[in-house]
Amino acid sequence: MSKILLIDDDVELAGMLKEILTREGMTLTAVEDGEAGLDEALRGDYELILLDVMLPGIDGLQLLQRLRQQHRSTAVLMLTARGDDEDRVTGLELGADDYLAKPFYPKELVARVKALLRRSPNTSVTPEKLAYSGFDLDPTTAEVSCDQQSLILTPTEFDILRCLMQQPDQLVSKDQLSVAALGRKLAPFDRSLDVHISNIRKKLPSNPERIQTVRGRGYRLVEMP
Amino acid sequence: MKLRRTRWYNSLSLRLLVLFWALLLVTASSGFLLAIWNTEQVRPQPLAAEINQILKPLLSDNSTFGSLQTGRLVTGDYRVVAKLASRGKQRLNIAPDLSERYTPLVLRMLDANSPQQMPISDRLLVGPYVLGGDRLLLARPLRTEELIDRREAESKQREARTTTLIIGSGFLALLLGWWLIRPIKRLIRATREVAQGSAEPKLGRLPKRSDEVGELARALVTTAVDLATSRDAQRRLLSDVSHELRSPLARMQVAMDLLEPEDGGSNVHWQQLTRDVHRLGTIIDRILSLSRLENGLVNMQSEAVDSGELVAKLISDLCYADPSCSDRLKQVGEQWPTLQSDPELVRLILENLVRNALHYTDGLITLSCDIDGERCQLLVRDRGPGVPDDKIEQLFEPFYRGDPARHHQAGVGLGLALSQRAAGVMKGSVSARNHPQGGLEVIVDLPLKCA
Repeated sequence: MSKILLIDDDVELAGMLKEILTREGMTLTAVEDGEAGLDEALRGDYELILLDVMLPGIDGLQLLQRLRQQHRSTAVLMLTARGDDEDRVTGLELGADDYLAKPFYPKELVARVKALLRRSPNTSVTPEKLAYSGFDLDPTTAEVSCDQQSLILTPTEFDILRCLMQQPDQLVSKDQLSVAALGRKLAPFDRSLDVHISNIRKKLPSNPERIQTVRGRGYRLVEMP
Repeated sequence: MKLRRTRWYNSLSLRLLVLFWALLLVTASSGFLLAIWNTEQVRPQPLAAEINQILKPLLSDNSTFGSLQTGRLVTGDYRVVAKLASRGKQRLNIAPDLSERYTPLVLRMLDANSPQQMPISDRLLVGPYVLGGDRLLLARPLRTEELIDRREAESKQREARTTTLIIGSGFLALLLGWWLIRPIKRLIRATREVAQGSAEPKLGRLPKRSDEVGELARALVTTAVDLATSRDAQRRLLSDVSHELRSPLARMQVAMDLLEPEDGGSNVHWQQLTRDVHRLGTIIDRILSLSRLENGLVNMQSEAVDSGELVAKLISDLCYADPSCSDRLKQVGEQWPTLQSDPELVRLILENLVRNALHYTDGLITLSCDIDGERCQLLVRDRGPGVPDDKIEQLFEPFYRGDPARHHQAGVGLGLALSQRAAGVMKGSVSARNHPQGGLEVIVDLPLKCA
């Protein structure tokens, strides 16, 4: 049973989502306001947080920032207002794993949730440790280090890096990375993958260019000289 | 800005009144001056030596000419025209054929110390000569050449004065006109700006003026702000309503999902409900996009966009959702331009146009392009029946939809309006025409480089 936390002030929607996700075999805890949501997220061991951006008290983006400051790498799916690109990009930059525009189709929500839950460390496809370009990645413990410094990555960032490390020095297309990390192909002009990559680069102690951008096509992990 | 009323002493009416009054006075006095100038005689000149030689000997003998009367011929054609006697009943005697208006002149000449000469109308006055206490003024008719010279000099002088006056007054009138018209022209420009949606028309220092023009300018400033506010409010209402509709809509979608019948939804009512909920979602999305475009809330990206690749991707995406499209959509031409533009907006425009074409027609749809200097045209042409010419303009109005009877399943009527606004953001435009060989052709005109 996957434990999911929903932080949304729309109580009626929360009730229905609970029903839907229960039907899919997950348990949903719903919290209405930001402060309580943050407490609950820090206290409980949730696998996924569904986070509405517009919240009373502290808003979703602030909540996310504080959560990540506490080095919690719980997967976060943001529920944004449609067309609010700025919130969306800010959310991703603050470490959200994916986003879904409201109003959404429940089927799509379930698909996104499943995609994010799919990759818990235990169910990893490649249990062997990976090492390349200064990175050491252990899929079983979900631990990564770069140049012997431990990195704290969100599950999505972890999956992206793992996907890149599985094909060292090769071009990995954006679609392939997106499928591996987000469980879906990129929509036209979806910038989420680029934001995730930039987040990983920011966390590296040195040489962020070891994750090379191949313009318009994808990314490549290269060995730094 | 507070609407300050014009005080009477600052008012334009008073200024104009004073101005026109002054103008009339100046006009009248300059006409008067001109008349005086032009009638004023040439000043007395020193006597020419030759005349003196003729007259001096004759007029030095007191006894001979002591009794000279006015009108008497002295010598040649010199006559006595005025006489100031030292004694007697009638001391001043002026020839009756000398006009009265010359009397002051005659008196002045009689009073002079030494003989002078002076042309008046058609004769030459000479004098005074003193004979036994009497003072005499003589005259002879002007000789023809003298007469001509005089007339010429006079008319030249008159012309010069008239020209000066005309030019001077014209210049003054120009200044005056400029002073009056300049603020009005500025107001016209500002009003046009307001009509185009500016909330802060350029008025310079006009609102600071204390007269009626200043009052008008201040009224215009207030009106511009009011207009902008109400326009914003109108747009915001639509956008706010749509925002508010989203939460219940989200719940409806979830509820629909929970209600889904076991057999996957063969119930027609359930299907209808699902479609309508979906449609509501689309309408709200569209309204929000439209209002964001109209309010300039879209942060335009500017990057290299390979239009050919974009079109190919669009076709493959559309056909992925509905494989039956692949036979109908065709990308024509090899030379697709690379634009410096916003890929998302370009795609939004083309996707709307292609979806419309797919929706309203059955035949082939071609996408082609044309490069024309600094601009390019992306063309989407269908093979449908086209649109009546008088309806083409209406196509771009929000919520306009084709024949509702025939297309009751059509979109929400915002696609073309949305495309046009999106093109506007990129300094381009979207227009439509009936293709000469049938079908509707929608033309997206975009600059190759949009800053």
